[in-house]
Amino acid sequence: MSILLLPILTVIVRSGDDGDLVRRLQERDASAMGDLYDRYGRIAYSVVLRVVRNQAVAEDLVQEAFLRIWTRIHGFDAEKGSLGGWVLTVARNRAVDYLRSLEGRERERTTELARGDEPAVFADFEKDLLNTDRVRLLRGAFEKLNTNQRTVIELAYFEGLSQTEMADKLKQPLGTVKTWVRSALQTLRQELVGAAAV
Amino acid sequence: MTCEQLRDSYELYALGLADEPEQTAILEHLGDRCPVCSDGVNHARALNASVLALAPDAAPPARLRRRIMAGIGAEPERQWGWSWVWAAAAAAFAIVAFVYMGQVRETNRQLAYARSELGRTASELTNTAADRSRLEQAIQLLEQPDTEQVSFGGAAAQPPRGRVILNPRRGVLLIAANLPPVAAGRTYEMWLLPKTGGPRPAGLFQSAATGTAIHFLPGAVDRSQIAGVAVSVEPATGSLSPTTTPIIVAKL
Repeated sequence: MSILLLPILTVIVRSGDDGDLVRRLQERDASAMGDLYDRYGRIAYSVVLRVVRNQAVAEDLVQEAFLRIWTRIHGFDAEKGSLGGWVLTVARNRAVDYLRSLEGRERERTTELARGDEPAVFADFEKDLLNTDRVRLLRGAFEKLNTNQRTVIELAYFEGLSQTEMADKLKQPLGTVKTWVRSALQTLRQELVGAAAV
Repeated sequence: MTCEQLRDSYELYALGLADEPEQTAILEHLGDRCPVCSDGVNHARALNASVLALAPDAAPPARLRRRIMAGIGAEPERQWGWSWVWAAAAAAFAIVAFVYMGQVRETNRQLAYARSELGRTASELTNTAADRSRLEQAIQLLEQPDTEQVSFGGAAAQPPRGRVILNPRRGVLLIAANLPPVAAGRTYEMWLLPKTGGPRPAGLFQSAATGTAIHFLPGAVDRSQIAGVAVSVEPATGSLSPTTTPIIVAKL
């Protein structure tokens, strides 16, 4: 399997004034929806397209994701939440659900709350999750991963496979896959924590 | 399982991909308000969002913005950007293209509807933890000394019944039963009724198949300015003010 991630983030994501944007969305200011799309539409589309690999489907799913944000925005805390993180999570979940339904892999046991579709779970986050410095740092950490580690991270984040499903797809023992996932996540985690501590 | 044993599963849990027994164990720790797991899952969600931002950059077509704005009724969806001169020159082609695009739009609409129905069904099947979280929020509200609550629907024949729980520092919680089913494309919208001025939107929600619903509006509420809470049936995208007669009015 040759899955290569090409981390090319050219979009500068501004998040400093998300609080005002959230307040306008909660007041049902339609122009705020345009601003939300201008701020996060491209990156959300990039994530969804990476998952479904079909432009027409990606458009439908991004539209659904933004409508979901619009209808649930009242549960979002403008002072504390990470709007960008929530938008990306909702978009990714829509895309993975689509992929899983195509493949007959319906979700089991998981909940919208657990997966971050509910705005309340994005409270108390640092606001600049999508800050370009942070993403650049993470990209560097990602490049440190070996091929197996990169593969399992891509399968989890962009194809929505559990570790059991990865083992089946890669024809590897479950224990081996778990080791790859654990070590990859530890590397990514440590890079971000280490940077935050400096 | 201990928090230490669960820490490597936080990211997968937040992606909805944790295997058993880790999935259930994390849910239980979160349900017990375990500070280690709560903090770990929060950090995992932050890491997950940042990893998603590593996706290869792709430019969406300009029409996507128009579609999204049209979806909330902000401006009409426009498929054609040609000038009238160019359009006139290509009139014959446009007629053929229009018929074709109409078929494409109808197919897309049907696909979007089917996906929406699938998502709604999946949500109904898997909302236990979400409901549990909301009930925990309700319990937290009830534990506060400055919380007040009011019942509604007791007098009518077959009314929506329930309770509004308000804490001026934490928010407003609505627990309702006997809600009538809403038609496709419609939803319930909660309103805060100020002492002066019109109703203020307080979030959209759906009921379960049994007609029950729990809806929470987090955040501080100026109790001195709020006279009550209402619920009406609105279009799926919500409304700026009620467009139908409220089915619930609870005076505080």
